Amino acid sequence: MTTLLIGLLIPLASSGDTPWILLLGPAGAVAVYWGLFQYYRNTDKSHAFEHETLIESQPITGTDQKVDEVRGTHRSSIDGDNAHHHRQRVQRW
Amino acid sequence: MTDSQATPGEAPGVAEPTTDPSAPPRIDTANDALRDGVNRCPKCGSTEIRLRVSAGMLTCLFCRYEWSEARIDPVVSGEVPLQDLTGTIVASGASDISPEVAGIITLKCAGCGSEVVVNTAEAMSSRCHWCRHLLTINEQVPNGAVPDAVLPFGVTRDQALQSIRDFAGARRMFAHRKFRRDFAPDKVVGVYLPYLVVDGNASADVQGHGEILTRRYTRKEGDQEVTYYDADVYQVNRHVDFTVDDLTIESSAERANQDAFVNTNNIINAILPFDTKNAVRWNANYLVGFTSERRDQDVAQVQPVLEDQLLSIARSQVEGSVARYDRGVRWEAEHLVVHGTRWVSMYLPVWLYSYYSEDGGQAMVHYIAVNGRTGETMGSIPVSYGRLILAALAAGTVLEVLVLWLLAVMS
Repeated sequence: MTTLLIGLLIPLASSGDTPWILLLGPAGAVAVYWGLFQYYRNTDKSHAFEHETLIESQPITGTDQKVDEVRGTHRSSIDGDNAHHHRQRVQRW
Repeated sequence: MTDSQATPGEAPGVAEPTTDPSAPPRIDTANDALRDGVNRCPKCGSTEIRLRVSAGMLTCLFCRYEWSEARIDPVVSGEVPLQDLTGTIVASGASDISPEVAGIITLKCAGCGSEVVVNTAEAMSSRCHWCRHLLTINEQVPNGAVPDAVLPFGVTRDQALQSIRDFAGARRMFAHRKFRRDFAPDKVVGVYLPYLVVDGNASADVQGHGEILTRRYTRKEGDQEVTYYDADVYQVNRHVDFTVDDLTIESSAERANQDAFVNTNNIINAILPFDTKNAVRWNANYLVGFTSERRDQDVAQVQPVLEDQLLSIARSQVEGSVARYDRGVRWEAEHLVVHGTRWVSMYLPVWLYSYYSEDGGQAMVHYIAVNGRTGETMGSIPVSYGRLILAALAAGTVLEVLVLWLLAVMS
């Protein structure tokens, strides 16, 4: 574990981002608190009906049309990515 | 000695025409072989009938004859494939609750003629205090008390006790001191909770934008290397036709409220699903020795929950078809058409350990729940916030010391 952490920290430290590395302590504390809290309270647990119900679907159909290009963005993913957030409702029509 | 009771003269799965043409088709699931009051063992006439959990059979405690009710699934499913399901079909036990019908029912004992009161909000049977006969409620009066079917307990109390002990035992270190002191798993109770089980035939459309990475490069800005991305943007539309079989929805308003900040009802939700295909026709004797909660929600009231879940299922189904969008997809609009639904009300078995606590003046009941069929266990254990914070601070401090040591070494 310690070897793994050092292996992770050395490239970070050598990239000149010293102030960010100092946040690892507080971030670790928050992660430990939240992880332990969830292990005890399980507030995030619910029935995974999307996978645990017998579902039969016909082949998916649809269209994909190129409408724009993005050049030189800092964002590593699309803004508002919700492809995996099935329960996040969007506008209904 | 085993036997199976089925109501003769019924055409399974055939929705009955109703006199009101605007009313939805209805499947009659009433168990005509039973009535309110005294229901006797088919062999010896005793009313001392219990569920033998390990066998899943009703047992006469007097002559040891065992039998079970017929499965409900062939009665409600019929021969119509789900993809051809249209309209709203409601089984008779899931019909709308009439506010005029009281939850407290008075039965006349067929043994001695005395009157016995049953509060259907909590139990479906009562013992005559004069002649000791056991009286049960079996007629589908429109107060939500008698469902179409019941799924008998299959996990014994001892098995549930062990699961609860194991669950809490693995969470002792940061549990609230009072919880650890008061923990008494033998207070677990077997409860039949009310659900609406729905089959559905639906179509959904989703629209949004997806991005595909075309180039990733870095530029030097001052002392730092900054990463930039180029991507193609696509308008994405998807359509899916699908059916769901036995989607299970809470039909008690209290249980349906799953705000994890004020209650732990999500724990009970998390132990779903049940093997609802094995549910049997109603017989109140399955509930003897257990408690129960009455359904208080009609089909129309849980329709928004159904639509929400169908939309989530649709989004889950189309996920695989957008894998090529390596920068993700932002769904912006969705549309659902429900072609047909079929609703059945059921009592499903849960072993429940509950613990009342007050944190900072806020009262909360913490549940540890065991699925009465699969044994799946989930729970909420009140935590000691002081010890939790100490552990988090200790972990954070160790990490920070490690960082500082590394920085010192590097410099």
